[in-house]
This record gives sequence, C-alpha cells and structure tokens, in this order.
Amino acid sequence: MEASDKLIQDLAPQKFGKKGVIWTISLIIISLAGIIAYIDQVIKGQVVTNMNDYALWGIYISNFVFFVATSFVGAVTVAVLRLTNNTWRTPIVRVAEIISLASIVMAGITIMIDMGRPDRLLNLFIYGRMQSPIIWDVIIIPTYIVICFLLLYFPLLPDLAILKKHFAKNSPRLSKWYGKFSLNWSGSEKQKKIQLKSIHIIAILIIPAGFILQTVDAWLFSTLFRVGWDSTNMGAYFISGASVAGVGALVTVLYVIQKAYKLENYITEYHFDKLGKFLVLTCLIYLYFNINEYVIPEFTSKKEEITHLNHLYSGQYAPLFWFVIIGGLIIPIIVLLFKKGRKPLPMFYIGLLVVVGSWWKRFLIVTPTLLQPFLPVQGVPESWHHYFPSFHEWIITFATLAMALLIITFLVRYLPIVPIQRTADEQEALKTNKQLSS
Amino acid sequence: MNNKLKHNFIIYLLAGLVFIGFGTQQNYAQTPKKNSVRLGADYFKIMNGNSYFDIKATSKIDKQTQGVAHIDIIVSNIIDDEEKVLGTVQTNMEGIGRFSLKSLNLIKADSTNMYNMKFSFKGNDAFKKASKSVSFKDANIEAKLITKDSIHFIQATLFDANLNTPISERLLNVQVQRLFRPLRIGPEFNSTDINGTILVSIPEDIPGVNGNLTFEVVLNDSDDFGTVKALVKAPIGIPIVDESTFDERTMWSPRNKTPYLLLILPNLVIMAMWGLIIYLTINLFKISKP
Repeated sequence: MEASDKLIQDLAPQKFGKKGVIWTISLIIISLAGIIAYIDQVIKGQVVTNMNDYALWGIYISNFVFFVATSFVGAVTVAVLRLTNNTWRTPIVRVAEIISLASIVMAGITIMIDMGRPDRLLNLFIYGRMQSPIIWDVIIIPTYIVICFLLLYFPLLPDLAILKKHFAKNSPRLSKWYGKFSLNWSGSEKQKKIQLKSIHIIAILIIPAGFILQTVDAWLFSTLFRVGWDSTNMGAYFISGASVAGVGALVTVLYVIQKAYKLENYITEYHFDKLGKFLVLTCLIYLYFNINEYVIPEFTSKKEEITHLNHLYSGQYAPLFWFVIIGGLIIPIIVLLFKKGRKPLPMFYIGLLVVVGSWWKRFLIVTPTLLQPFLPVQGVPESWHHYFPSFHEWIITFATLAMALLIITFLVRYLPIVPIQRTADEQEALKTNKQLSS
Repeated sequence: MNNKLKHNFIIYLLAGLVFIGFGTQQNYAQTPKKNSVRLGADYFKIMNGNSYFDIKATSKIDKQTQGVAHIDIIVSNIIDDEEKVLGTVQTNMEGIGRFSLKSLNLIKADSTNMYNMKFSFKGNDAFKKASKSVSFKDANIEAKLITKDSIHFIQATLFDANLNTPISERLLNVQVQRLFRPLRIGPEFNSTDINGTILVSIPEDIPGVNGNLTFEVVLNDSDDFGTVKALVKAPIGIPIVDESTFDERTMWSPRNKTPYLLLILPNLVIMAMWGLIIYLTINLFKISKP
C-alpha cells in the first residue's frame, strides 16, 4: 500500500461503531426533549422558567455567552496559528473550525430561545436601534457564522475531491456528494492560488470578527450600569475568557476524536503538549483579568460592588465561584505547567474541567449581578433574591449543548478530521526538505 | 275535535306561561334598598379668571364611603325663596363634578350680599334624593410684586367685593406653583392686618422655567368667602437650563436620531466584512469553474 493510500485510509471519514451510534442517538433524544420543552415554553410563555423581575436573564443567556465564547476557538487557534506559521496546527485546525461553527450556530439559536416572543424576531431588524449592543450582536453573529463556515469550507476543498475518488467504488452516493461539494477541485495551480489567497483572507478576517463578537458580547453587559458589569475591563476580559473556553473545548473534543478514530499517529502527544502550553497561557491571561475584575474593586468600590463581591466570595454563589476560579483556572494552570500534565489523558480531564468551569463562569457573570439591583424594590418576594433554573430551562439548555455536540458529531462523521491533502503535502515537504506555503 | 281541543289547550298554556313570566319580576323581585347620598360643594374664585363650584357626591355603601358616579346635580341660585336653575353637572367616576360660572353676575345675592346656592339630586333607582345649600360672600384679593432694597415681596390685600372694605385677620397663604403641588413660602400664618394686607418676602433661590415664577395668594376654604385665589407672575426665579436632549443624536435617542459616528463606523466595518465575504464567495465560483 502506498503512503498516500494509507493516509487516505487512515483519515477518511469512517462509519460509527456501536459507541458512536449510542452517542448519536443519546444526543438526538436529548435534543428532541429540548425541542418539546421549548414548544411548551412557546405555548405557555416564559412562566415555565424560573426567571423573574430580578433575574430577567437566566441560564439561556449564560449558555449563549458560553457558546459565543467557545466559538472564538476558530479565531484564536486556526487563524492565529496560521498567520504565525505554526506548522504543528495541521491536525487540530479542522476540529477547531468545526467547534467554532457548531458553537456560533447554537449561540444564534440559544439567544432566540431566550426571547419571550420569538415571532417578533424580525422586529429586531425592522425597528432595531444602532445604539443598542443587542443590534450589534444581531449583526455580528450571522457575519461570524458565515466566516466560520468559509473558514471550514475553503481548506476542505482538496480533501473533498480526494474523498470523492476514495468513495467512488464503495459508496457512490457519498462520492457524488463529496464531488458536488468539492466544486470540481482538480488541484490546478489556479485553484490552489485562489484557495490559498482566500484562506489567508479568512484567517485575517476572522480575528477582527472574533474580537468584535466577543467584545460586543461583553458590551451587552458593560454598557449597563450594574454592579459586576459596569467595567471597562469587560471586553478584554471576555476575549481572554473565550480563549480559555475555546481551547479547553478543543482539547476535550480532540482527545475523544483521537481515541474514537485511533488517530494517535496524527494527533500526537506533541500536539497535546503544544495545546497544553497554549491553554496555560490563555488561563494565565484570564486569571490576570479575573484579578483585575474581582480583587481590585475590593479596595476601591462602593457599597453595592462590595456587597456583590462578598456575595461571590462568601455568599450563596461562593462554592460555584471558587470552583470556577480554582477548578477552572488555578488547577489547570498548575497541572499544565508540568510536562506530565500535558499528556493526552490529563489534558482531556483538564480540558473538561476548563469547559465546565467556563460554562459556570458565564452563569456567575450573568446571575448574581441581576439579583442585586441598584434600586431594590421594597417588599419583593424572597424568591426574587435567588435564581435556580427550572426543569424547562435545564432540559432546553442541555438540548442546545447536545445539538452543538450533534453538529460536531455529524461533521466529524462525514468530514476528514485531519486535513488529508495538507498532511500529505507536509509529509512530501519533509521528504524533499521543501518549505511549504502556510 | 279532540285535536283542536288539545291544540287550544297548548296555546293557552304557552300564553299563560308567558304572562306568568312577565309578572314574576314584578311580583317577586325584591325592591332594592336605596342608599343615601351626601352632597358637598365648595366655592372657588380665581381672580381675573373664572369661578366654579366643586361638587362631590358620596354615599355609604357596605359601611364604606364611596363617590357616586354619573348622577346629575342641579345647580340653582336662591333669591328670596325663589330658585333659579343655572344648569346641571354630572359627576365623574369618583363622584366629583365641577360647575363653572363664567361670571358672578350670572347669580344674584340677597339683601345681605350673600349668595345662596343650592345643589340638588333628584334621586334614582339606586340612590335617594339629596340637596346641599352653600352661601358665600364675594371677596377679592389684589396681589402684586413689590421690590424693596433688592428684596422681592408679595403684597396682597383682601377685601369685600360688594362693600369694597378690607377684611382683616384672615389667613392668606402665599405659595409658588410647582409641578405637582404648590410650594409654600413665607411664615406659616400670614394674617391680614387692619388694611386687609399681608407682605411676604420671596426667597431668591426659587428655580423656574426661563426664570418665570407664578405666585398664588390664597384665602383657603373660608366659611364666609369660599376659596379665593390671586395669581402673580414674575420673572424673578433662577432660570432652569433645559438639559433635554430630545432633538439631539444620542445613545438613548430613537433610531432616526442615531449618532452619526455610530451609523458610519459600524456600517463601514460591516460593509468591509461583507464585501470580503462576497469576494470569497466569488472565489468559490471561480474555483468551481473547470
């Protein structure tokens, strides 16, 4: 067997095994349960949620912010590593592109779930005011979805052409689809030139788009005069937090794919080591912003801010807060500083911890602030000072997470996870000692 | 024959039932107990303006005093046992009605210069009839702004309008009109002197739109004269600077008043991004060409 044949054999999409089928069916069931719960929410209204006059943003917005943050992985890894000519990126970029696309699509859907009257969605476009950060979000999310799609699609073209040939005999139907989506890719110089130029443009374009997306998301909060949100730190804080969430998600998904598809020869310990260093860097930056956000106000802030901070340090949200800070940031930093900590399995657990920590972090950004309004109304029900999502909210949120995983699962099933053409070119370049274009 | 008898019987039975139906209400319905109505009336006179009566109709229903809504109150002037009807006024939802007098010349006073008014309600299915009499004399307040040693004062004189004599030892309130309720100025009790006059100094720091202030001198709810009010407008307040941004392009203005910077900059960024996206899409078409 020739080296190129083996490469295609190894990297071509494969059918799911038993575990893969069970995994997919489970995700479909959770997604369906969420859809049913959402239909019930639309019929009965948001009375089915535990949101109230104080906690008017709940778990849906936390989940939305988490998805937006995770989608940043496309900009932070793919584009940055490409523009800085880091060749070790090859086996990880496609997973990052897939996570970005799945996350931003689900972010768009999640924000609609939070709408009491989703039928009035069009009004946002008809009557939206450019002064409102919500409109900025409405504009940047579809833009980012398109950019993420193009970031995934352009590098895929040569691989789709390869898969067309590969499946021509065994699966003509699949081959036909790959052929259609490969856009008559023949690998001509002209096509390569256009493709490389386009990828370069997208790699540049996605960075400001990603920064705008994260910053707009931050400004949704910081433009409101509320304790915990009213901070000039918010934009940079969100970008660094998004890098942590994105790289954490990438590490986790990458490990699962490596094991499921037995790609140890392509996604190696070296890649996990590099990603580990990358993750520890993002965690350190995020920790720095957390210190700015939570420690410095303790010295300078007014009563309301101090009350809010004490609420986090030692109040009802203290266990969650310390889990997020210690579990989601400090432990990953300590573990990843050691070489042994950057091995695939420890990295998987750390990645998982970071993702869970990132999700709860968004909950802590949204909820405790809402429970402490500047103008407390006298005689409000005690329940307004607390918020815990209802069954509907939980099931819909789990469904959105399941849907994101389902998108990733389907894309992993039908697309080559490690770029075939790029890997072949790299192997060829190694043999001939040629410099490969980035 | 039998059929015809049966037919007639049914007709009579139905007709009988109809008539029984008509009678039932009258025979068996309880006659509703009528509630008493209490009428109250206050006389108001605004100098150089109109005069009016504020009438209130109340009733105690289920041990609670409530306003009687939508009843007609007849307003009459009593002159030597003669009753001259001036008009009617209907109460609102709160049981309150206002009867305006364009001029006091429309009513006549008795020999003691007392105006006697009668407010009566004829009664209806729910309420008993009621009436209220009010008597008052006509009084005038002449108020003006004077300045002594750079200090502004309100000087006001109360006098009997018919006799043109000053009225002494009456309490007059001096206040300045504000948005929700007037602001009292000067001493708590301003009693008119032997000349029927009061003199109240005005603080220098009262704000007003364009510096305009409207002062009120009020004889409040007097048994003899009702309520008499004189208004004095004076541009002696501290001008309020109108800080409204209603017509400006601000972050909180409607969409047609978006700040230009916010229109231009984000739209340029969006157009640049979508321009590149279109260019990339065209590249896809270029690649797909054989």
